[in-house]
Amino acid sequence: MASIANFCEWLNNTAFSVYLRQSDWPFPIIETIHILGLAVSVGIVFWIDLRLMGIIMRREPISDVVGQLEPLAVRGFMIMFLSGILLFVSEPQYCYSATAFRVKLLLVALAGLNVWFFHSRVYRYVTQWDESPSLPVRARMVGFLSLVLWFGVIATGRWTAYK
Amino acid sequence: MQFLPLSFFRWWEASWISSVVNTAQWYFAIIETIHIMAFTILLGTIFIVNLRVLGFGLRRQSSAQVARYLKPYTWGSLLLVAITGGVLFASEAVKLGRSEPFLWKIDILGLAVLIHIVINRKLTSNVATEGSLRIKIAACISLLCWFSVALAGRAIAFL
Repeated sequence: MASIANFCEWLNNTAFSVYLRQSDWPFPIIETIHILGLAVSVGIVFWIDLRLMGIIMRREPISDVVGQLEPLAVRGFMIMFLSGILLFVSEPQYCYSATAFRVKLLLVALAGLNVWFFHSRVYRYVTQWDESPSLPVRARMVGFLSLVLWFGVIATGRWTAYK
Repeated sequence: MQFLPLSFFRWWEASWISSVVNTAQWYFAIIETIHIMAFTILLGTIFIVNLRVLGFGLRRQSSAQVARYLKPYTWGSLLLVAITGGVLFASEAVKLGRSEPFLWKIDILGLAVLIHIVINRKLTSNVATEGSLRIKIAACISLLCWFSVALAGRAIAFL
């Protein structure tokens, strides 16, 4: 952990970090982009999750919903991820010390694992149950977990900002 | 919202809702978190409908179908946004009454909701609107309005 702390301290003192932290406009602009990216990606992921749980769009095949919406969610995620890195660079030492931020990173990692699990163990066999009204428990679980994890990310993200 | 008198903001801040949210810092944080989560769902549904109108996303379903699927979630999340927003507002109504970004936010929000109602009506009542230039322009304006709401919301904290 010490090396991570050292890295954050070093990053905190770089000219770029100081610039992001001390000038008026970059931080609010980047933060707004971050929140819009979040709304777009999580808002769309939420919809995929509800389909996986069998709550909405039941008459549409899963592959239709996932296949058409996932590329949009991924783009939103990229915007969120890049702007998130910039937000971190602006205050690395504070982020390192904030418990909410550590929990957030953990939740993002778990959400990523969930996506990996979904694609490698669940969605791969989608043709077997694509049109059937009852979905496999795994698909429902992935949807539910994704929902909970992303809401957790939003909560801990907001709480990171309460000093 | 500029036309509202100061007494309105004072009245809201003096109401019992304000005392609830001001009891503990925790309450404010929790209500704000719910506010943001509901807004995320709201923006997601708006985004999916408007993108479909513009020819992205759920293209194998018709715009009207997508609009019908999402409608209850849009209004449900908007209701939650409005309730939590009203409570957050109560905690510092007088200060917000003087905040330019806040007043803008509420105005644009009203406009955005109106535009969304019109888009929804047109899509579900008239087949000819599917893919028309008019509805596409409306979708672009709608997206701009919602993004402005988020932008102005964030700006309240900075200006």
